[in-house]
Amino acid sequence: MSEMLGTLVFYAVAFVILATALGVVTSKNLVHSALLMTACFIGVGVLFIWLSADFLGAMEFMLYSGGVAILVVMGVMLTKRQDGPPGNPFNHRKITALGLVILFVLVMSTVIVSTPVPSGSYVSADTVDALADMMLNKYILAFEIAATLLLAALVGAIILAKGDGEA
Amino acid sequence: MTIGLNHCLLLSAALFAIGLYGVLSKRNIIAVLMGVELMLNAVNINFVAFNRFTPVSDLTGQLMAVFAITVGVAEVAIGVALAYRIYNDRQTINVDELDNMKG
Repeated sequence: MSEMLGTLVFYAVAFVILATALGVVTSKNLVHSALLMTACFIGVGVLFIWLSADFLGAMEFMLYSGGVAILVVMGVMLTKRQDGPPGNPFNHRKITALGLVILFVLVMSTVIVSTPVPSGSYVSADTVDALADMMLNKYILAFEIAATLLLAALVGAIILAKGDGEA
Repeated sequence: MTIGLNHCLLLSAALFAIGLYGVLSKRNIIAVLMGVELMLNAVNINFVAFNRFTPVSDLTGQLMAVFAITVGVAEVAIGVALAYRIYNDRQTINVDELDNMKG
């Protein structure tokens, strides 16, 4: 019974993710795209929790559907044309892009279906403890580099947005 | 039927393809950024699914997803700052018109 419920939840979440992602690409209004993108990120966060990665799910909710969504909406408002709602037009390579994407999906699904799946699974009882332990012991260098990257990105974004000499 | 690695990989491939379509076919620089974000999320789903459904002994996949999220968030901050700057300088964010590096 609980297995069937899990299957049902997976298909529901997958439907939400794909439908909202299609909405992001096809919506005529850029603000609607941004809102649908937030819904898509919430779906991905729920999928993470379904995959028993609860810390990553919480991170996805806070960073993507919180931070990134607000940043993108700010970007939409700051770069708006004066007349009418912010549009979201296609360029003249729409058909070529569609062909490339269909080719990509065909190749990827063939590869995925034809590759044998290794059997086994891994579920951690406490993802926060395990992740913190790895982050501060084995992968301390990557952790420090990520911290430096965030600092550089923050300073770079301020300099870019305010302009040279004003910051 | 139980959900396994293949289902997650197919979902992630579809999400990546939708993001790729947005990147390739959109005119607005912010819409292109949204496509990139969708693609980054697809990659994170792959990391977590491989960590969950293959015989591993620790959470390396999830940790890589943490770093991927960090890089993705830094990227979107820089991207929005760049879009704002380009809009201020040239009054357009149509990527087809931005073919000149010398302002």
